[in-house]
Parts: sequence; structure tokens; C-alpha cells
Amino acid sequence: MASSNDSAPAIRASEVGKVYGRKEALSRVSFTIHEGETVAVVGPSGAGKTTLLHLLAGIIRPDSGDINLGGRALAGLTPGGELSRLVGVIHQQLDLVPQLSVLQNVLAGRLGRWGLARSALSLAWPHERETAEKALDRVGLADKLYERTSRLSGGEQQRVAIARLLLQDPQVILADEPVAALDPARAADLMGLLAEIAGHSGKTLVSSLHSIDLVRKHFSRLIGLRNGGQLFDLPSADVTGDMMDRLYDLRGIEGVETFQGRDYG
Amino acid sequence: MDSRRLLTILLAGALAWSLFSVDWDRDLVHPGGFGSLADILAALFSLDLSPSFLKVALSASWTTVAYATAGLTLACAIGLPLGIVASGSLGRGIPARLAGMAAVRLMLALLRSVHELVWAWLLIVAIGLSPMAAVLALAIPYAGILGRIYAEVLNDVPEAPLRALRASGASEVGVLLYGRLPMALPDMLSYTFYRFECAIRSAAIFSFVGVRGLGYELQISLDDLLFEQVWTLLFFLVALVVLVDLWSSSVRRSLTS
Repeated sequence: MASSNDSAPAIRASEVGKVYGRKEALSRVSFTIHEGETVAVVGPSGAGKTTLLHLLAGIIRPDSGDINLGGRALAGLTPGGELSRLVGVIHQQLDLVPQLSVLQNVLAGRLGRWGLARSALSLAWPHERETAEKALDRVGLADKLYERTSRLSGGEQQRVAIARLLLQDPQVILADEPVAALDPARAADLMGLLAEIAGHSGKTLVSSLHSIDLVRKHFSRLIGLRNGGQLFDLPSADVTGDMMDRLYDLRGIEGVETFQGRDYG
Repeated sequence: MDSRRLLTILLAGALAWSLFSVDWDRDLVHPGGFGSLADILAALFSLDLSPSFLKVALSASWTTVAYATAGLTLACAIGLPLGIVASGSLGRGIPARLAGMAAVRLMLALLRSVHELVWAWLLIVAIGLSPMAAVLALAIPYAGILGRIYAEVLNDVPEAPLRALRASGASEVGVLLYGRLPMALPDMLSYTFYRFECAIRSAAIFSFVGVRGLGYELQISLDDLLFEQVWTLLFFLVALVVLVDLWSSSVRRSLTS
């Protein structure tokens, strides 16, 4: 399914598992994602999508199995600088600092590369302002440079988060339901932007999302998760409506009637 | 009958008994007390607004504000770094850091557990009756209070933006500069302004240890039973606090809009 790519795969997961208490959030999930691929992780709520993305981002550690990023073991990468050049994350919830200007929130993407003095000085005299301006121009917010971030709408703030990611410039973009909080038109718009940015710079994009239309439009490959297991891993053209129906079928989902614990997404 | 009700009855009985031991005719208000009270109230309608006394009041207010400003500025300069360390914002993984955090918290508690008047006594004994003693006496307990509140506010900011900063590669200091401090700033500022009001009151009281200012003039006027002047001075004190309040709300408005 991947293009002919002889370099080390961007992501390789082998037999990855994660357990929360007695619930197996993810069990023996394996796949290889090559550089520049766009992969959607689909499945019902509680299937393990967020767990998988957090594992790939190094936010949580797997209980079993191994994850490799660009040929290096994730467990051996130092958090902060080194890891931030490999993977960048976009979340569903808005996680910008509302009191800072848009410019400073975007520049925060550089903190993994800047030293302490430069980070501190940049709050007063913004460093690399032109890079931030370019990134904001790309997400269509060039005119909001000095606006307080709290004044922006949800969709605009998500665009600022993407601009920050552009400055972080990781090799892999992980997006955890990035458009869940937006209305359908803005969701389509934003997903298009994210896919275009990944495609344009040849970055690998792995995103969980619910909208099948958006998945088919922007992603070349689908990984279907259900009850923490891998139901399929196919090029999006090969995924049939029947398969999607089975993926989201409520019957047989572990504890669907009684499940009241945390949503592991 | 449960012990709680028994205790209530005992306490109520003790209160009633204590009321009987008061000699209502002689002990409660000293003879002529009501007379002075009337004088004090009457003076409220004949404030001393003569230019010469207004000048005295204005200059005393200026001295008090100067002490309060100097004391609070020093308190901020000491309290902010201590508060940052005490909050654990610089990372709390290493045992050494955890010990440092505990030590700073203990130090903040020691600073603020002694009242500014007591610090003033101690410092005047140590370095003599100088403006420096008054400023330090104000700065020391206020640094303890500010440091503790700053630590709390810094810990109370939402976690999600901090996680996002870490994910984009920021160190703990980077997270502090770009996340915790900007998010905590409005609350920290508004509390500091409130403390400025308190500092003005405290500075006015320093006359008891011989420092000049509003309290000093108040004491002189009271000794001479010049209640017209006392009221004028009190209104100056109220005006100062109201001015600080107005200033604080205008700063807060510009921060949140």
C-alpha cells in the first residue's frame, strides 16, 4: 500500500499494547507507515484511537511492543527537543495560551530549538517573526498576528495550532480528532488545510477522525480500530461501506451499554 | 443527650454568667466616654480643610504611599522567584528539586508568620530608625504572602496548553515563560494590587514604631484631641485606597479586553 520508499519507515509499530486497569485499551497493534503517507485512524469511541496517537507521540508509554520513529526506538528518544523534531501533535481541544498574542503562540513551536535566553528575549522582541508570519499567512490568518489569542474563534485557534506546528516542523504530524469541535463546513476546510500542508512538505500525517467523507477525500490509507484491536489496515479505496458498517456496529462492542469510565477514544 | 448539645448548653451558660459579672453602670464606658464620642462625631462635620493642614496631610499621604510602594516592590522582587520555586514549576522530578521546593515553602511560611509591626520593631533595634528599616519590615512578610499566592496561582493554570508546549519541545522553563506565567499573570496582578492596598494601611500604622506618614500625623492630632484633623487624615487614607482600587481595575480591564 505504501509508495516505493527505500528509506526507514516514518513509523513502525509492532505488537503494541496498552492496558488501563483491567481494560485493554490497545492490543497487539502492528503497522508500518512510510514517509509522506496520510493515514486515518477510524473506529467508534473507546476503540483506542487516542491511546494509539498518544503512544506514537510519546505522551504515554506502551505496556508491550515497540514503536520506532524514523528507524529509532521511541523509548530511547529524549522528550523535548529531539522528540519534538520527529513528531508534532494537534489536539481536539484548544490548547493555546489564551493570554499570549497569536504571534507568540506560533513562535512557541520553536521552543524545542531555542535556548533559554532566546526564548525569554523573544517574548519582548519576537525572534524569527518572518517565519511565523509566513506560517500564519499559510493558514489564512496573516492579519491576526498581534491579536490576543483568546479573541479568536475556535476554528481560527485551531489554525494557529497548525501554524505553531509549521514552526515546530516535525517529520510526522499526529492529529487527534482535530476537527471534532468544529461545524462541518469549517471541519472540511481545516482538514483540507492540514492535508495540503502535509502533502506539500511531504510530511507524514496520522489523524483520527469520525467523518467518513473527510477520510476518503484526504487520506490514502485507513486503519480501523475496534475494542483496542486492529480490524483492518487498507488503502482507502479498498475499504467498503460494509466494512465501515461493521466497524461502527454497536453490537459486540465491549461494555457499550455499561461503559461509564474514562473515554479512551 | 449527645455531647455536642451538652457543650452548646455549657457555653451558653458560661456566656450568660459572664454577662452578670459586668458592672453595667461603671465599667463598660469610662465616665465622659459618651461625651468624647459626641465630640468625635461632631468633628466629622467640621473637617480641618485649612490649606496649611491639607499640605501636611498631602505630604504625609505621599510619605505613606512611598513606603508602601517601596516595600511592595521589594516584596514582589523577592516573592516572585520564591513563588516560582515553591510552585514546583521548574520541574519536580529530582529529589533535590523537591527538597528545594519544601525548603522555600518553609521559608515563605517563616517570613509571613511574623507581623510587619514585629518585623519593624526587630529591624529598628537591629539597624536603627531609618526608612530602610520600615521598607524592609513591610517587604519581608509581604514577600512571604505574595510568594505563597504566586505559587498557588501558578499551579492552578489549565494543564492542556502546558502539555502542548511540552509536546512542541519546550523545557520546563519554556513552559513557565510561555504558559504558566502568561496564564497566571491577570490573577497575580490583581492580588498584588490588593496587597498594595494592604501595604498602604500597614505603612500608615508604622507611626507606632516612629516612622513618619499618615499614621504619625494621626497620632499627633489624636494626642491633641483635634478630631477635625483626625477625620481629614482618615479621609486621605480612604482616598488612597480608592485610588489604588481604581488603578487596579483599569489595569485589569486592559489585560482582559
